[in-house]
Amino acid sequence: MISLLPQALIDGILIGGIYITFAIGFSLAFGVMHIIDFAVGEWVMLGAFMGYYLNRWLGLDTVVFLPVVFVVFGFIGYILQPVIYKVLSGKRGNPHLMGLVFTFGLGLMFRGLGLTFFGFYSHSLKTFLSSGSFSLDLGSVFITIPTVRLAGLFYALIITFGLTYILKKTDFGIAARAVAQNRDAAGLMGVNIERISSFIYAIYVGISAMTGILIGSVFSINAQMGGKYTIMAFFVVVLAGMGYLAGVPWAAFLLGIVQAIFLIYFNPGWTLLAVFIILYVILLVSPKGLFGRGI
Amino acid sequence: MKSRGRFLWIFVVVFGLFCIVPLLTKNTFFLRIATEALMWIGLAITWDVLAGYTGYLNFGHGAFFGIGAYTTAILMTKAHWFFFPSAFVGGMIAGLVALLAGFPTLRLYGAYFAIATWALGRAFQQLALVLDITGGPDGMRLPTFLNPVFFFYTMLIFVGGLFLILWFLLERAPFGLKLKAIREDEEGAMAIGLNPARVKVMAFIVSAIPAGIIGGIYAYWITYINPASTLGDLVTDQAVVMAVFGGLGTLIGPTIGAALIYAFKTYFWAYLSQYQVLYLVILGAAIAASVVFLPDGLWGAFVSRQEGRKALKKGLALKKEKRA
Repeated sequence: MISLLPQALIDGILIGGIYITFAIGFSLAFGVMHIIDFAVGEWVMLGAFMGYYLNRWLGLDTVVFLPVVFVVFGFIGYILQPVIYKVLSGKRGNPHLMGLVFTFGLGLMFRGLGLTFFGFYSHSLKTFLSSGSFSLDLGSVFITIPTVRLAGLFYALIITFGLTYILKKTDFGIAARAVAQNRDAAGLMGVNIERISSFIYAIYVGISAMTGILIGSVFSINAQMGGKYTIMAFFVVVLAGMGYLAGVPWAAFLLGIVQAIFLIYFNPGWTLLAVFIILYVILLVSPKGLFGRGI
Repeated sequence: MKSRGRFLWIFVVVFGLFCIVPLLTKNTFFLRIATEALMWIGLAITWDVLAGYTGYLNFGHGAFFGIGAYTTAILMTKAHWFFFPSAFVGGMIAGLVALLAGFPTLRLYGAYFAIATWALGRAFQQLALVLDITGGPDGMRLPTFLNPVFFFYTMLIFVGGLFLILWFLLERAPFGLKLKAIREDEEGAMAIGLNPARVKVMAFIVSAIPAGIIGGIYAYWITYINPASTLGDLVTDQAVVMAVFGGLGTLIGPTIGAALIYAFKTYFWAYLSQYQVLYLVILGAAIAASVVFLPDGLWGAFVSRQEGRKALKKGLALKKEKRA
């Protein structure tokens, strides 16, 4: 059994890579807008289905539609953000709670829409990457790496480095980080908070939806898959520390490895329970995440 | 003092009206709807104890309902207990889970609590699917006891008693004031000598125990439970939409919300059952829309309107003049 361990680790890292992408957007949106988006998994689901239907109608490879999905969902996020902004800056009630309730309602609505239009069946996304795989034979250890999972890891690295570049080097990124650090002060320095929030939310929704396509080509897609990925995003972000972007990749790799080990050595049904227990222990021991850098 | 008297009168009248329902009709369908409406009122007000009075959103309320249902089922089928002690133990176990889950999470920022309870709900759903004792996805069958009138009165007495106890606890006793103080300003509450974490965990337990007992009554009433029906997201989703739509932070708001949403649900499922999943869309849209347009809920909007009128009549406020 121990000879399967390297395979489990590799699988975990490759799968964890995909989780990085939507978790990093989620953490970014939390840092800038102070919103916990309960609809994150539903964005993944909607993006995956858009890729699936575009592929069926146009017959082109699903990978081609990555930018299309990003633009479409980015636009949806951009026009949705003012509503969230209005809820969060409301005078009555408790605005932060209302923000949570609002995205919770959105998630429920999207799940219902998904079930209405896409049905209960599972589908899988076919890409030219789906079939191939690499094999490594190291004497006693034999490792298989499907091409599509490797592509997923590359995609995750591109997104992560791209976002890091935008946040560290461009004016927009500096403004976004200023808003995350101190909203009021950033506003006084002439940063247009509402516009920055809109763009950040658009980027986050776009990335989440785009990741749906990759998840769909690694696993399968169905209208109820959202909840699973919402919990993954929560787990990664809490483990990394809310709003602390640099911790996200490590937490995502850890989650991927936990998942792969449960898949190989234990009953896969217990994965979600293990994820919850780890989350609970982290909240008990170090609520600001593994690195103690969260909010 | 005057409002207390009026409240008790209204409560007695409504309770009395509910008491004579089984005498008026022999229609079991109608009785069943009335029982379930009472159940949802109970779930909505227990959810509101934490959300409205403490300001912490529990997105795993269905877990407590399901824990109560499964505990009752297991005790009645495997240990052959009677119904009442089983449901009571179900409630206690739900309270114990609330204590364990609330202890680390209620000390934190509210978003962590929302995430943790949401994950808790999912985890228990998964647990019921993989364990042997719960029958996995097949669910469990309870001893059948087909007496709709008995269940109607059990539910009525429990939910009515719950409403009264919560009303005294939250609106009359110091406990409610403590909760509101923590909701409004946690550091200020600490400064006057309250222990916020302890009070919040107590509120969580107060909200979980009745949810568990209601779950137990539901299990014995319906006689068949499975992870989707008792631990599924729909229980939480509906409790949330009922409380938010009716108005957080009051007991009357969620009651009204529960009655309206349940009436809508019954109508919808009776006449448009082929569009069942559309119900989720409407539920989600109702939550999102009431957050945007009715942040205080129906009851909150009604109360502030009444207060505005009273203030106008007494000359305490001026009518908003139209700008020329």
